[in-house]
Amino acid sequence: MSSVSFEHVGKSYGSVDVIRDFNLEVKDGEFVSFLGPSGCGKTTCLRMVAGLEKNTSGVIKIDSEVVSSPSSGVFIPPEKRLVGMVFQSYAVWPHFNVFENVAYPLRVSKTKKSEIESRVHAVLDLVELGGLEKRMPNQLSGGQQQRVALARGLVMEPRVLLLDEPLSNLDAKLRGKMRQDIREIQQRLKLTVIYVTHDQLEATTMSDQMVIMNKGDMVQVGSPNEVRENPINEFVRDFLNQ
Amino acid sequence: MKKIEIKFPSLQGPVPLLTLGILFLFTVCVYPFVVLLGKVFFSAEGGGFSFQYLAEILESASTYTAILNTLLIATGTTLLCSFIAIPLAWMLVRTNLPGASRLRSWCSLPYAIPPYIGAIAWIYLANPSNGILNLLLGKSIFNVYSFGGLIWVMSSFFFTFILLSLLSALDRMDSSLEEAARLSGARPTQVFFRITLPLILPALISGALLVFLASAASFGVPALIGSPARIFLMTTKIYTFQKMGSLRGIYLAAALSSLLLLFALVILVLNQRLIKKLSFQVVSGKASRPSLIDLGRWKNPLFLGILCFVGLVLVLPLGGILITALSSVQGRFSFDNFGLQNFRNVFFGISETPRALKNSLILGVGAATFATFLGMLLSYVQWKTKLKGRRLLDIFASLPYAAPGTVVALALIISFSGPFLGFGPSLYNTLWILWLAYVIKFLSFSIRTTGDGFGQIDDCLAEAARVSGASWWVTLKTIWYPLMKPSLVAAWFLIFMPAFSELTMTVLLTGPGMETVGTLLFQLQEYADVSGGGAAVLALVIICAVALINWLVKLLSKGKYGL
Repeated sequence: MSSVSFEHVGKSYGSVDVIRDFNLEVKDGEFVSFLGPSGCGKTTCLRMVAGLEKNTSGVIKIDSEVVSSPSSGVFIPPEKRLVGMVFQSYAVWPHFNVFENVAYPLRVSKTKKSEIESRVHAVLDLVELGGLEKRMPNQLSGGQQQRVALARGLVMEPRVLLLDEPLSNLDAKLRGKMRQDIREIQQRLKLTVIYVTHDQLEATTMSDQMVIMNKGDMVQVGSPNEVRENPINEFVRDFLNQ
Repeated sequence: MKKIEIKFPSLQGPVPLLTLGILFLFTVCVYPFVVLLGKVFFSAEGGGFSFQYLAEILESASTYTAILNTLLIATGTTLLCSFIAIPLAWMLVRTNLPGASRLRSWCSLPYAIPPYIGAIAWIYLANPSNGILNLLLGKSIFNVYSFGGLIWVMSSFFFTFILLSLLSALDRMDSSLEEAARLSGARPTQVFFRITLPLILPALISGALLVFLASAASFGVPALIGSPARIFLMTTKIYTFQKMGSLRGIYLAAALSSLLLLFALVILVLNQRLIKKLSFQVVSGKASRPSLIDLGRWKNPLFLGILCFVGLVLVLPLGGILITALSSVQGRFSFDNFGLQNFRNVFFGISETPRALKNSLILGVGAATFATFLGMLLSYVQWKTKLKGRRLLDIFASLPYAAPGTVVALALIISFSGPFLGFGPSLYNTLWILWLAYVIKFLSFSIRTTGDGFGQIDDCLAEAARVSGASWWVTLKTIWYPLMKPSLVAAWFLIFMPAFSELTMTVLLTGPGMETVGTLLFQLQEYADVSGGGAAVLALVIICAVALINWLVKLLSKGKYGL
């Protein structure tokens, strides 16, 4: 696992800034949440790490490798970044069964058949989907689809795992269980995780560090306790007390 | 020697494909029209820019008449089509007409059949000497070789353009707007004229302009019905000029074509403008179940009326073709006169038939396959990337679609009769030029259908693949392509159908050994086979092919496409 750093990262569409001067160091094995109301730029930040969006200024590094730096013309495409991602809407491919969905990252990297077999089974067991290999996505519940997406993000042994509001489409009871499971898996595999959410409960219970964002600006960074005890302004206080 | 390292950052992703696409599309979709206009304005005797050929066209009485005829016929057809389609659409969607859904698909059916089939059907039914209707009535009442005949035959096909446009607008319209008017005390007719009609006006206008354009650009019907009556339209006049075989003929044809092209472009721009001005945002995307208006005691008479109309545009022409195909001697209705002699003749007696069928199949399959995949790539670039210049692709591709077929064919002849792009072999007099014509003419169908398909697939499915390590190309292959298959199948058939039976462009581009089903039918009807049976047999072949494919499309797309 690895670290991620943002150095003066900005993103604008024409004259509209969606991210302004974003600076952050996500350490190896750390669970960091981006927390804020919708439209604050947290998902954009996450997608820039994946390479699905390009920052218009600043430098993004994974470990010591520069993955995007517009000023020096460097942009590593998403498929070369070795990051795992779990999407809000799961993005489980409807034309593949569970096994093939999870095996896809290994297939495109031309991994040996026997190794694919064992790694997919291992990761499916980890997310508690063992035995459902042959199911098609339309035969799975929302929670199971979410676990397929998680398994697919983990199977490639990514440098960073990115989660984009992964629990927002699940019902409340399932959400509690998934919160625990994701945190447990993260700790066991010592994953570096960036987790985007608008739910302060998720952020405070799961993360080592949280980044509070508003309208494209980073408002406060710190551990859940620090932020809760010393909110930097009214916005943070209000947001955490919802 | 020092090794020079060249980096191509732009070679990642679809950028090179976009560049290639723009180049290819420009060469086949835009360049021919540029050459056509160049020929019109820069090939006068003195050299240099001149209006010589254009002036010659406008001064000649016969072309002037052709232009007037075109406007007259197009206007007449548009009016008749609107007159048919507006009440029909309203009754089919908004009233308790019995069997509405069945009637709806029957009334839409002529959309899929090439109009020239209707032209020969009505020649069999209503020609003054031995038309079936005239024989049955005992005296010569109907004469299809007339302005009225032309307008009727065109309208019996093109009314579907307005009908389909109105049906979809009415389906999407929030019916609570009409219900509110009813509750305010308006009678059904008042609701129709004060609320419904104004709201569907954009759909009506755009359908009507499409009809105007289609009838002005139509070739088969005016060639088969108009020309024997000495009624020439712009398209048939262009055909005559081109068949003169001289360079002068080509220039005159080009000049008249540029006028026809101007017509088409003016109409399309007009359409865009009017739609923008008239569109209200009340026609919502979601379908709501409208409360149906009770037709009361008019229910059964109107039902019968529509049934008669279906009989007139569908059953009667089909019957005419069937009788003609089965009659050994035309105009005699006795049982011993019916047989399969015409079929034997066409399939075994005429040596061109197998070749024509083979050519049509090869060209249909070739054009449909290529245009489907090209269209998919183009709509991918259009909908799923943010590349600069992607709008250009759409504009380029829509040009041959908007231009009348006659003009497209002439532009291709002029541009590609020499060596291809200055060095390759000439495309002229090979099947390749027909293939190219079909590809560019019908590419828009594929772009639209696959565009719909892409619209229904969430971007995150592809993003998940990219993050999983798949390159842009692998993502296209493993995620987009399998998910897009239903749209691709629909697009393929939507192109194969018109390509298989194409006539307008083919008659101009064809050469020895390049017969297609359409041109063979045209030849048999025009010259060789005065008794008429042979053309009727081929018409049946085309109708069966269309019906089969329509059924397949409906089956494969689960009712989303097809009629």
